[in-house]
Amino acid sequence: MLRSLRIVVWVVGLLFVAGCAGSVPAAVEGGGGEKPLIRLIANTWPASELNVNVAAILLRDQLGYPVEIIDLDEQAQWDALAAGDADASLEVWPSGHGERMAQYIDEQKVVENGGELGVVGKIAWYIPQYVVDANPALASWEGLAAAEAAGQFVTAETGEKGTFFAGPLGWTQYDQQIIDNLGLNFQVINTASEEALLAQMDSKYQRQEPVLFYFYTPHAVFTRYDLAEVTLPTCTQEEHAAKVTDGAVDCAYPDDRLIKIFNPKLQQSAPDAYALLKKFNYTTDDQIEMLGMLDQGMAVAEAAQAWVDAHSDLWQSWLAE
Amino acid sequence: MSMLRSSLSRRGEPAWQRRLPVGLAALAVLLLLYHLFGQSLGEFPATWNLQLREPLDAFKKWLVGSRSVNPLFLYGFDPLSGGVEWVIRRAEEFLLWLPWPTVGGLLFWVGLRVGGVQLGLLAIGCLGFMGGVGLWDASMQTLALMVASVSLALLVGIPLGIWSAHSDRGEAALRPLLDGMQTLPAFVYLIPVVLFFGIGRVPAVIAAVIYAIPPAVRLTSLGLRQVSEEVVEAGRAFGSTPRQLLYKVEIPQALPSILAGVNQTIMMALSIVVIAALVGAGGLGTVVLKSLRQLKVGEALEGGLAIVALAILLDRLTAAVRRSDDAGRGAAVVRRGWLLEGGVKGLTFGWRALPSPVRRHGWLWGGLLWGSAVSALCWALGWVDFPKEWNLSLAGPVDGAVRWAQLHLYRIGESGFGTGPVSDFMSLYILAPLRQLFAELLPWPTLVLLAAAAGAAVGGGWLGLASGSSLLLLGALGMWQGAIDTFTQVVVAVLHVSVIGIPLGIWAARSPWVDRLLRPLLDLLQTIPTFVYLVPVIMLFNLGRVPGVIASVLYALPPLIRLTRLGIRQVDETAVEAATAFGSTPHQLLTKVQLPLALPQILLGVNQAIMMVLSMVVVAGMVGAQGLGLEVVDGMQNNRMGQSVEAGLAIVVLAVLLDRLTQALARR
Repeated sequence: MLRSLRIVVWVVGLLFVAGCAGSVPAAVEGGGGEKPLIRLIANTWPASELNVNVAAILLRDQLGYPVEIIDLDEQAQWDALAAGDADASLEVWPSGHGERMAQYIDEQKVVENGGELGVVGKIAWYIPQYVVDANPALASWEGLAAAEAAGQFVTAETGEKGTFFAGPLGWTQYDQQIIDNLGLNFQVINTASEEALLAQMDSKYQRQEPVLFYFYTPHAVFTRYDLAEVTLPTCTQEEHAAKVTDGAVDCAYPDDRLIKIFNPKLQQSAPDAYALLKKFNYTTDDQIEMLGMLDQGMAVAEAAQAWVDAHSDLWQSWLAE
Repeated sequence: MSMLRSSLSRRGEPAWQRRLPVGLAALAVLLLLYHLFGQSLGEFPATWNLQLREPLDAFKKWLVGSRSVNPLFLYGFDPLSGGVEWVIRRAEEFLLWLPWPTVGGLLFWVGLRVGGVQLGLLAIGCLGFMGGVGLWDASMQTLALMVASVSLALLVGIPLGIWSAHSDRGEAALRPLLDGMQTLPAFVYLIPVVLFFGIGRVPAVIAAVIYAIPPAVRLTSLGLRQVSEEVVEAGRAFGSTPRQLLYKVEIPQALPSILAGVNQTIMMALSIVVIAALVGAGGLGTVVLKSLRQLKVGEALEGGLAIVALAILLDRLTAAVRRSDDAGRGAAVVRRGWLLEGGVKGLTFGWRALPSPVRRHGWLWGGLLWGSAVSALCWALGWVDFPKEWNLSLAGPVDGAVRWAQLHLYRIGESGFGTGPVSDFMSLYILAPLRQLFAELLPWPTLVLLAAAAGAAVGGGWLGLASGSSLLLLGALGMWQGAIDTFTQVVVAVLHVSVIGIPLGIWAARSPWVDRLLRPLLDLLQTIPTFVYLVPVIMLFNLGRVPGVIASVLYALPPLIRLTRLGIRQVDETAVEAATAFGSTPHQLLTKVQLPLALPQILLGVNQAIMMVLSMVVVAGMVGAQGLGLEVVDGMQNNRMGQSVEAGLAIVVLAVLLDRLTQALARR
């Protein structure tokens, strides 16, 4: 028994030694001369990966930086950037990170606000198109406020009230306020993760049952589900802010202007890479173009490369002094 | 304390012992009546809060601010994690640099050496699966991560186990620590670990080590403590130094138990793979997370099954090492090994001239030479990456099956039965009333006293005191409400596990067919990352408390089924024969003989099931169940570490309490 144990120990040990020895040349080679390694953070959703892959291609091919893409949780990325373990994350939804933005960027200045990504996010209430087809009134809040409307959306968890499936806990949400202030007969059920919310929606969608939920654009799911936005009363950015302070929100969500966040030391360690990432700015349509390619079975890196090949006029302007 | 305990029990027992629980329960009822008809006893007093939250949040904030300037990090943690990260990355690169047939051949070779041809082929099969679903690279990354985590866990765990075996004080000190490590959800310490060790492989290794050390320590200690006194005495009589005694006598004797610990350590480390992906460790966990984010259940399942394949591979290899002193098989292995080595010897000139340590490890050099030869051949032929054409994609059919289930199992025809109605029923008639009972009807002092009464009833006055104070501690952590919610869900989940698991265990004990069918299914349920089936469970059972319960039931079934089966099988043959001779029907045999005799094992299974359900609390929170899990997730998502830690500690308290209660019950 000891003998076979020794076999395993030896094999493991040898693997390690050989692993270290065998790949030293590779590591040196990967150093790529003078330029420091740029570590970009990709979060788990496709748009985030696409941004980062586009940036990686440009940093690598145009500026000659070695680049590493790290798959990381969107909460943990703040601590990684603050510690200098990573350099940039390119798609942060301010509505989902209010507390961290206040602490890390404004107060402690351990993470740098890298400016807007250019993509404008929009949080809204959604229902499937088939529900609207059956009853067009439900596409607006007035229709949902009608006496019999909520009954269609009832689940066991909410009893007599209609169920409103809200977003994950960390995201900015005013749904309960909107429901109360507009006098809707709905109850908010919190979902702890986007996967959970989507799974619930998908399940109702497949069975063509009514479902009302919190969601946002741009998102890859809109290519797969035919969803309709519920119109809520509108208000200006300022009105909304005032209503938030009073706890009296009764109108649609304001736009979410997505931002980039950097490790504050990036500007010093790699000025031209910093300049490129700072200027990196494109539109929702650019993302949608690449998301479409993913749907056709392309890999993320291929889609990013295809976009880079087709839009040199845009990214050339990011490289200009 | 133990002295006090014995003097107390001598004085008080048995009347005192018997009356205490009744008295406590009576007091609980009186308080309830007072609460209902007199004055309301209200919420758990907020002034009793331990106030952990603010200092913890302040500490985290300080850490974030000083992380990139503090010398402790710049010259302490950073180089340390940098070094470990470097080693793991080189190992990853090495595994990917090797042509796939070499890796396959190598593991086949190890399998052959420790367990025979069958094991070698199994190793090939597992690797083939990982390559076949297109996840070769991710699997090699995860393999490297696991090897590093497990090595580190053993490096720390086995010496700790030796210490705890030789020192009662050591064991007493380690026990609560190990309990905490095993039950504190990884989500609680993930962010702190990132703050200390950065992102990438290192925090993943640390998280895996925290979770995987306990079995290594426990089983090493257990093994050493079971070495018979006489053997040790004999060693001492022959003049062994303590060191010799340890290495030559105790460790060899305790080896089977230590190796069982190694095996458990590997399994525990593997269960952290998906969580490791959250902190940038890459590998199979990333595959699972990314696929789930897009509801690609099939792809997530492929990732999950690759983790299962890795688990099976490592489990069977270590289990074979454990058994490989089995003489007959060992000899066969050696003979087959020599055939291959003979070939190598023929190829290498001057073998005999090699120094003796080299010759003694002939198999090793043989393996290396063969490996190099195979690698060289593969490089020459360009067989480095696993061929993409060998594709056994499961994603399509699995996605189809999930679709079908969504459409046809949710409500089966017009029958009013299906997963949807079942979920509604559980929610309305089981979970909601139970929660109402604990959270609204019974005031908190009544619950504290009832817990104390239960503790006193199963384990005596001290356990009663401990149970009552644990409940007070839950309140003082500010988690009373969350704990009540979680407790309700645990009760419901454990009831379901018992109702399903015990009969299945009995059935498996009586029918070898059922046993054979169940076994791979149980292996699968135990090793597949729970994240993988969360999405389908939500699709079938809707968001809320029910999917959390269902997922917990799936996860907690295997140990109960296994232990029930084991308990019934282990019932003494003579007892069964005697009963049969006295004319017992099979039914009587089961209810009058086998079940009562197997009860301790079954209760141990229930205990395990409770622990497993509690380890799913965070996962339940992720699918929308109110309770401690949601508090942990909420704290993590909203940058409130204090809240996560409080909720995590509450989970530990609840787990330890339920563990001690059920263990005491099993002992009775």
